[in-house]
Amino acid sequence: MSQAEVKRVRYKMGKLERKNTLVAYSFLAPNFIGFAIFTLVPVICAIALSLFEWNGGDISKLKFVGLDNYATIFATKKVAEKGLGYFFNRADLGIALKNTVFYTVITVPLTIICALALALLLNKIKGAVFFRTVFFFPYVSSMVAICVCWSFMLMKDGPVNQLIMALGINFNKGWTADSTMAIWSIILVSVWRNMGYYMVLYLAALQGIPRELMEAATVDGASKWQQFLHVTLPQLKPTTFFVSVMMVISCFKIYDVVAIMTDGGPGRATKMLVTYIYDEAFIKVRYGQASAISMVLLVIVLAVTIIQFSSEKKFSND
Amino acid sequence: MKKMLSVLLAVMMLISLLAVPALADDQVLTVVTWDATTTPYLIAQKEAFEASHPGVKIEYVDVASQDYAVKATTMLEGGDTSDVFMIKEIDNLINWQAQGFAAPLADYIAKGYDLSGFVGTEVNYAVDGVQYAIPFRSDFWVLFYNKDLFDAAGVDLPTNDMTWGQYAELAKKLTDKEKDVYGTHYHTWLSAVVNWAVCGTGYTLADKKYDNLLYYYTLYQDLEDSGACMSYADLKASGLHYSAAFANGNIAMLPMGYWYVSTLIGYNKDGTCNFNWGITAVPHADDVAAGSSFGNLTGAMINAKSENKDLAWEYISWLGGPEGAKATASVGARPAWVSEDVAEAMASVDGFPADANSKAALIPSSVAMEWPVAEKVSDIKTIVNEEHSMIMAREVTPEEGIGEMNERVAELFE
Repeated sequence: MSQAEVKRVRYKMGKLERKNTLVAYSFLAPNFIGFAIFTLVPVICAIALSLFEWNGGDISKLKFVGLDNYATIFATKKVAEKGLGYFFNRADLGIALKNTVFYTVITVPLTIICALALALLLNKIKGAVFFRTVFFFPYVSSMVAICVCWSFMLMKDGPVNQLIMALGINFNKGWTADSTMAIWSIILVSVWRNMGYYMVLYLAALQGIPRELMEAATVDGASKWQQFLHVTLPQLKPTTFFVSVMMVISCFKIYDVVAIMTDGGPGRATKMLVTYIYDEAFIKVRYGQASAISMVLLVIVLAVTIIQFSSEKKFSND
Repeated sequence: MKKMLSVLLAVMMLISLLAVPALADDQVLTVVTWDATTTPYLIAQKEAFEASHPGVKIEYVDVASQDYAVKATTMLEGGDTSDVFMIKEIDNLINWQAQGFAAPLADYIAKGYDLSGFVGTEVNYAVDGVQYAIPFRSDFWVLFYNKDLFDAAGVDLPTNDMTWGQYAELAKKLTDKEKDVYGTHYHTWLSAVVNWAVCGTGYTLADKKYDNLLYYYTLYQDLEDSGACMSYADLKASGLHYSAAFANGNIAMLPMGYWYVSTLIGYNKDGTCNFNWGITAVPHADDVAAGSSFGNLTGAMINAKSENKDLAWEYISWLGGPEGAKATASVGARPAWVSEDVAEAMASVDGFPADANSKAALIPSSVAMEWPVAEKVSDIKTIVNEEHSMIMAREVTPEEGIGEMNERVAELFE
């Protein structure tokens, strides 16, 4: 080929490549534009807003306060005087953090165990489809309806308390009116609702475990429990990783169950990070402070997710 | 074929253009409010205004009562152009004015608007001497009682001059566990249980000291323990509303806001409630005059972004003034405008209890504001309500809860 011909071919190839790239970007564009407008831009605005004081009115009323909002929510003055105990027992952010972390640390393992147990039970039994529908049903039901029904069930003299009393435990207080039990009522409703969804994920994963592995284990003389421990569980590690990442993120963002069942109460026993953000932003109309709390939430969830991803190498099947 | 289609389309467009002027006859005023379809006075006010202002239609934008403040604020922050926003609590207006959403009314009032009928309550809606809203309802709390239950028990009816101690005894007397009758009923709100501390005493809930509330918490817990009222925990869990509870007919007394009168009258008319009821003044503390009560204002403001400010002014000035007051009073609600005509209208409402005590209860001796306009009142409200729920749920004793209120509110101002 002559120089000119080579150049022409290269130009045409470059043009094709550019056209392909353009097509690729145009497919990505709608999703990215939506993400940019509804997620990226608001997050950047929130980061900026956390450095200002704003009451939601005229934009010109924005007042730059630097890190004052963070100083207020972390109660830095009081903590310097009275120590960290003050932050976790009396400051709103400390209490909200404590409650949210407690809720997450209990709910995630509990949901995973329940979902896995259900998946194992319903993997290969008669009428599996029926039971799977039954357990998945709470996930598709209205959250408000679920919370209202559970509120009734957890009342003093309600069916749950009667069951507990029948088992010999002397407890008969309305769960949502007791500052120790209120958070357990939230945990109970969350686990009950979500285990169906994660059960479906585990079912799919279980059915993807190669039969040869199980047969090899049986041939080698492994008991059912040993098979579960040494073959099934390791094979489920990617799913467990995915489930735990999703669950941790969604647990930190819990709002609807709390708002309907306890409204943060009694007192501040079930005050969560997101209910705290909602109160600051929409009831007290302090957008600067609310944004600062949102940043704290963002940093925590980001940190936890990064930790989980960096230990993912242990979870991969290679 | 194509040419005929385009000619046809052009003709249709022309016709639609001609039709538009005919539809634009009525002016529409959008009014943001709560429970628009179920509140009797809102229906009466709309009918009366449209009747006296032909060519104007009121369009209510209905928001759920529980979330009204948050929803309305969010609407305003989003640039909503509804003409009028009703005001549920005084600090709604204070916030909206600070955010720049309320249109100042000074110019309109200067053209000649008589504020005297509001007997000074309108200052609650003024900021730095400038009026931003007009009140149209002034509520105070009264004691509702189920006459039939009193007659069945053979007990004397409550009077307009009872102390809290006498009220508690009465409640216990009327409680009948076998017949599932409760002597009294407390709604879960802070106002229903302890706001009495502000009646006739000059004390306010923003005074940073809450020891005055101890008496009322102790009174309440004594009544709850003796079964004279439903438990707070059960009410919170079930979400039972006081309007349904009392209308059920098994509660003898209910301290509640006067607005419940128009609801009960409506219930009588549609058959939801079929017993005789009456009202008296709320009980008073031993050292306070009979007829002392606390209350709240309801008003309306013009949205600064409204495009019909003049019409909106016509509406809110009518609403608060003597004409609107008559419409409000006609269904048993209590207007902010005070005059002989209004008092007459209130007493002669069809369905209002006919006994002398109920009529006398219409005139309280003093009405304190439920919450004052004060610095950081929003934060104080949150703290006091949080500790209130702890006390009511028996998580802490009233002394401990009040101690927490004192401490946490004091910290706000350090």
